[in-house]
Amino acid sequence: MSPKKRVAMELDPLFERLQPAEVFFTPDGKQLFLLLEPERFMDGLVTLKNAGFSHLSLVSCVDWLERGEFELVYHLLRWEDGKRVALKVRIDRENPVFQTVLHLWPTARFYERDIHEFFGVVFEGNADREPLFLEHWDDIPPMRKDFDPQPYSQKIFDEREYQHPFVPHIVQANPDRLPWEETIDEAKKGGETNGGK
Amino acid sequence: MPGYSLHRENEDQLLDELMQQVRNKEKIDERSMWQKIADWAQARSIYMLHYCTGCGAIELPPTMTSRFDMERFGIGPMATPRQADVLLITGYLAAKTLRRVILTYEQMQTPKFVMGFGSCTLNGGIYYDSYSTIQRLDLYLPVDLYIAGCMPRPEAIIMGFNRLKQMISSGDIQGWKDYEKRHDWYRKNQDKALKGEVYVTR
Repeated sequence: MSPKKRVAMELDPLFERLQPAEVFFTPDGKQLFLLLEPERFMDGLVTLKNAGFSHLSLVSCVDWLERGEFELVYHLLRWEDGKRVALKVRIDRENPVFQTVLHLWPTARFYERDIHEFFGVVFEGNADREPLFLEHWDDIPPMRKDFDPQPYSQKIFDEREYQHPFVPHIVQANPDRLPWEETIDEAKKGGETNGGK
Repeated sequence: MPGYSLHRENEDQLLDELMQQVRNKEKIDERSMWQKIADWAQARSIYMLHYCTGCGAIELPPTMTSRFDMERFGIGPMATPRQADVLLITGYLAAKTLRRVILTYEQMQTPKFVMGFGSCTLNGGIYYDSYSTIQRLDLYLPVDLYIAGCMPRPEAIIMGFNRLKQMISSGDIQGWKDYEKRHDWYRKNQDKALKGEVYVTR
């Protein structure tokens, strides 16, 4: 049996309660991702925690710029058999507000603080919104896809000025000849002229 | 010019000789004899502050330990800034780390030297577009010597240290004096990169 099928079969009784909108697998088929509707999401987390997935390994965030959505990913682990499930939820990018999971996992405090710092997602109920890594940040959150780091870097940190900057130039390839043939011809020509002198 | 042929080769030679004379004249050693002796001794006993900022620090253990053994050149690691001579900035320097590095540098006692290590301290390296990593170290601290490379091998580090030793014993090294003399200029750059808050003790 493929790992994909086995994972799906083992979690089959939970699917009815969870009612995932979409189901994804990693390419090796060992990890399952379930996309839930925002209003069913807390219920889904409680269901999985009751089913033994008591460990919250990670909370991460994905910025889908074209879709206008932030995707929060909650990675859960069951210690009895080492099974992993990740629950996904998509929230509005313009008004990124979601509920906290502090009452289920107190360790989520730092993940939520991190996501608030780098993506600007506000977790209602988590009062800890102090920046975790950045000091004196004065722009949009830096992990958002519409943040361009290079102009910001040039504005803040002065660059070294070079007298002879490296300028890449495109060499038009001759489709009838292979590149090394031209190199060999040039070498031959150079050898002849030097020999002539 | 009388006495010299106008042949091109000789003209170049003449220019070289004149330039050499000018260079020799410019380089007048103004140090007192005791200063020369102190510099000679200083160059033979260098304590390097073991403060690793970036990934370049991984090249230091083989340099310090038995494989390359930099102690045979009189260079050893030192744990506290107050007893160290050289501050080695190993690799990329985040703005957050730069605050701590400036504090560390200013705690060191003179004479003190700064070595920039790897391409990140030279021009930003692969972090050239990072929102939190500095591009040029010599804007914020007086760098005496750069070791280029990503990463420089232990041979390059030892070569850099030997060059530093030559510079110390010949009295060429002026970085820490420059930091005192042009402190306003350095502070202006530090304020720009660190948004006004330079000293932090947390």
